[in-house]
Amino acid sequence: MNLLKITTRSATTGPVLEIFGDLDYAGAPELRELVAGLTLRPGQLLILDLGGMEFCDSSGITALIAARSHAHAARADIALAAVPANTLRILGIIGLDQVFTLLPDSGPAAGP
Amino acid sequence: MMCRSGRQQEPHDADGSALDAAFAAVLEDSAEELYENAPCGYLSTLMDGTIAKINATLLDWLGLEREAVVGRTRFTDLLTVGGKLYHETHFAPLLRMQGEVSGIALEVKQAGGGRIPVLVSSMVKHGSTGDPLLIRTTVFDARDRRAYEEELLRRRQAAEEARRQAEEARRQAEADRARLQDALAVLQRSLLPDTLAAVPGMEAAAYYHTASPDRLGGDFYDVFPVDAKRFAFFLGDVCGKGPEAAAVTSLTRYTLRAAALHDATPVAALSTLNTVLYDRYSAGGDPRYCTAVFGTLEPDPSTGRVTVRLASGGHPPVVVLRADGTADYVPTPGGLLVGILPSAPLAAATTVLAPGDTLLLYTDGLTEARTGEDRTSLYGEEALLAFATEHAGASPQAVIEALTGLLDGFGDGLDDDVALLALGVPASDHPTRTER
Repeated sequence: MNLLKITTRSATTGPVLEIFGDLDYAGAPELRELVAGLTLRPGQLLILDLGGMEFCDSSGITALIAARSHAHAARADIALAAVPANTLRILGIIGLDQVFTLLPDSGPAAGP
Repeated sequence: MMCRSGRQQEPHDADGSALDAAFAAVLEDSAEELYENAPCGYLSTLMDGTIAKINATLLDWLGLEREAVVGRTRFTDLLTVGGKLYHETHFAPLLRMQGEVSGIALEVKQAGGGRIPVLVSSMVKHGSTGDPLLIRTTVFDARDRRAYEEELLRRRQAAEEARRQAEEARRQAEADRARLQDALAVLQRSLLPDTLAAVPGMEAAAYYHTASPDRLGGDFYDVFPVDAKRFAFFLGDVCGKGPEAAAVTSLTRYTLRAAALHDATPVAALSTLNTVLYDRYSAGGDPRYCTAVFGTLEPDPSTGRVTVRLASGGHPPVVVLRADGTADYVPTPGGLLVGILPSAPLAAATTVLAPGDTLLLYTDGLTEARTGEDRTSLYGEEALLAFATEHAGASPQAVIEALTGLLDGFGDGLDDDVALLALGVPASDHPTRTER
């Protein structure tokens, strides 16, 4: 078990959340609460950088979907960056790879 | 060492005179005084029980005057009715037989109406010719001892009561737990069909592996008739576990059955489910969703072949095991989780089952089972396809049994529920398969 750790930084495009550890039943509520507290302006891009994420279960997927809903409610967009291979495989099976914008990384040049 | 120990003797000698004086005071205490005021009662009776001598201590306990007792009453007159009875039936016979009795618990009456628990010992004194002369009796006050014993008894009763209550609480907790498990089992069964509908010209088999008997699973499946020509089937996996997931499972199952009666086109049925789940949960900010495969079976009695039309929403692809010993996935890419978006893309596919072919549906508990020594590898879709190829040509029942064995072999690497559903067309001439 790797405890979830989330760091937040601001990019020119909007907030970037870097997720480390396990996004599972224990950790997912933390991401959901953090995202729910984010103020997004219309046209901004919320980036979830999953490069440091080690595990993601269905609770984690639900948190990602909730983040997408939150962004869209603010007329902002959302993207997942540096998605680990196994999570990418699952996103493919459940069709979420077409619903999320996927970025290779969350660097300053990153954009939709 | 010797010198030192010699010196240590000296103080004793110095205190010796004081000690001797104390001893002298005790020894001056005459035998008569000791008899009268001993810390126990003394009495002597004739062989018929008549009291001949009694000490002051016992008279004091009884609240009687010596004149009223000596020569006028018998020992048994001092006893309570119960004590008297016990004396006559046990005490006296024992005394006659053994010449002495010791430590018998009796009760003596007080003049004021009270009673004192006592311990009585008696001994017969014999004359020089061996004839019994008199009986000497000591009576010990057992009030403190009785109070102590009663206290012990009360404590023991309290301890037993506490133990009984703990036992009762444990039984109650066990009964509650059993009741809860019964309720969960009933609910779980309500999420799955009792029996699969018999599809003409087909065989069906299913299996449900529950990861934990305490938690309602979120996997589901069903097979049921739609109209005169078609049957429908579905299998899926609700996100999460427990009562909340079970509520979604129940809603999902009955929505799909009702939707199929309205329009059994697979994409239409799953779209209806998507709308229902989205409106009920995700629109309110509480996303709940499932992956599902929904399909129809349309047997052609003239050819024995069955046309399968299916749609998938975010579910792993189904496998077809062919009579010729091959197996393939039926790809359904692009189908989205059901219930997260107001309008979900769903993937459709069609295949035909010939005699000896079997369609296998499963939930991702199977492909996501952890394998390997350190449980870090996933079983995966490749391994499942290889397993399916090995069993291609087998009946649905045989395929399910083989997969059940596979699941058992995963041991603790299998930590999720798994639903399995196999639908097959029996081989027309039951050819003997060549083992590969």
